[in-house]
Amino acid sequence: MIPEDVKIIFRLIKSNPVSLAGLIIVAGFIIVGIIAPFIVPYPEDAWGEVYHMERRFQPPSWEHPFGTDAMGRDVFSRVILGARFSLIIAVGVVGLALIIGIPVGLVAGYVGGKLGTALMRITDMFLAFPPLLLAIALAATLGRGLVNTIIALAISWWPWYARLVYVQVNSIKSLPYVDAARIIGLHPLAIMFKHVLPNALTPVTVQAALDMGSAILEAAGLSFLGVGVKPPTPEWGLLVTEGWTSINIAWWISLFPGLAILITVLGFNLLADAVREAGDPRLRRILLVGRKI
Amino acid sequence: MPISREYIIKRLILLVVVVFGVLIITFVITRVIPARPELLWAGAHPTPEQLEKARKELHLDEPIYVQLYYYLADFFRGNWGVSWRTRQPVLQDILSALPATLELVIVAFIIAIALGVPLGAIAALKRNTWIDHVIRIVSVLGASVPVFWLALILQLVLSSWLGILPGAKRVDELVVYETGFKPITGFILFDSLIEGNFEVFVNALHHIILPAIVLSFYPFGLSARMTRAVMTEVLSELYTRSALAWGLPRRLVIYKYALKNTLAPVIASLGLSFGYTIIGAFMVELIFVWPGIGLYAAMALLSYDYPAIMGCVIVVAIIYTVINMIVDVVHAIIDPRVKL
Repeated sequence: MIPEDVKIIFRLIKSNPVSLAGLIIVAGFIIVGIIAPFIVPYPEDAWGEVYHMERRFQPPSWEHPFGTDAMGRDVFSRVILGARFSLIIAVGVVGLALIIGIPVGLVAGYVGGKLGTALMRITDMFLAFPPLLLAIALAATLGRGLVNTIIALAISWWPWYARLVYVQVNSIKSLPYVDAARIIGLHPLAIMFKHVLPNALTPVTVQAALDMGSAILEAAGLSFLGVGVKPPTPEWGLLVTEGWTSINIAWWISLFPGLAILITVLGFNLLADAVREAGDPRLRRILLVGRKI
Repeated sequence: MPISREYIIKRLILLVVVVFGVLIITFVITRVIPARPELLWAGAHPTPEQLEKARKELHLDEPIYVQLYYYLADFFRGNWGVSWRTRQPVLQDILSALPATLELVIVAFIIAIALGVPLGAIAALKRNTWIDHVIRIVSVLGASVPVFWLALILQLVLSSWLGILPGAKRVDELVVYETGFKPITGFILFDSLIEGNFEVFVNALHHIILPAIVLSFYPFGLSARMTRAVMTEVLSELYTRSALAWGLPRRLVIYKYALKNTLAPVIASLGLSFGYTIIGAFMVELIFVWPGIGLYAAMALLSYDYPAIMGCVIVVAIIYTVINMIVDVVHAIIDPRVKL
């Protein structure tokens, strides 16, 4: 990304309190996600393989700020460690989707012709599924688990990036500097990767970073439907689900992990909103092509 | 009429192509990706005979393109397999569950548009004031809240604790029984109205409020955000500015010029959010025991009822495609600048 763009975006974010809140939330989430295993008050509870008969269903207190669950585990510890898993899922889904989407979009855009059309048609077929539906089908086929969840979500996700890169590459490849590179006889692969791709990457990476919130949200949805991560992984969606059966006697088990999802995703979305409004017409136009508006 | 017959035909051809695409992708997911597809197809704890039967039904001993042929043929014959949970043909199950879901989603969208468009317009007119900030946060919340969590919490507070609204089912069976209500189309609100059965209508309306509000969050947020964004743009365009400069009343400019031109993109965006909403219905229906395709799909997922899962996936993808096609056509009618 060109530093100039970053500067503009940051200046806009700083000028708007709501956007600034988004930035702070996202930064906080990433920090907690990284250091979570070292700061949880009850590490054993957080990882989940314990059973504390004596302190089941305790309401929030100083000792257990978010209360305890049906197995006597400290919900606060589990929610904190959950940030780590949400971060893994978010980075994994978006990263894998980029790895698939960028080459497809690049080849389709740069090579064009029949191959390009075919690639984009395939991409469009994937986009015919509503968000999450394809992931549900895949997750139901692959089975539960962290890795399968990431794969399932990434496979339903990459077409958006393929599209975005495709649009970018298409507008870049007719620029004079690319023609110049071609005329001096550079290898097409060299032009594609060295000269076209770097300039197409900015919008797609910005979009991908901001999509991490949606990835967290969708992973939580998969968990709730029983095709996401496996218990006792402290993934936020699964934590909410675990509290469902006893919600009438212990609302805190579901409430706090759900709040964690809500606040984190809100942070990402507020940030995304700010970037979208960043005024830079190029970035703005590009982001509008992207996912979910 | 800015819309040509070719346009419609083109869209229809595209629809057919997309449906084939959906079928091919689901074929790959169900038959090519799994090492032993019959294990998925034969229920949770299959006997060797059941496995053998599933192998036969899926034609797994044939080459892959023959399997694809049978897959497509079975689909178009309506032979979608038998659900392991209900022991009924999947297609029949889905068709009987569909009206409940559509009713819920339609009501959710009515709530979303009725609130989202005016609020988005207000936000655009009062840019960068506190009211704009509040509306912006609320609308972004709609896209950020996990729908199942919201459903659980609202059900707990409004239904279990406060007892204001019913927290499960479409209608009280007792009321249905006492008034002798017989559904015609399966849309209870509609059926009870044309039968003049107001008791059932009020009861069903009472039941639909809570799940519909939960489901409306996402489309509400989207329509508010879209209206705000588009309205801001329209207000800065030359024709609105010159209209104001000519001294036309501000009200007139807003309602007749700005709002009208805002609607087309907002409608287009709602088509996209339909997909998100119907997936949200999977979870909301499970929580509110709403007997639609969402509850059916969610139960199928929880009980590894694979034929039912894939049936739902295909149906929902097709509905989504059709809705988006309708939205495109409507968009083209409203805004003649849009062409294929």
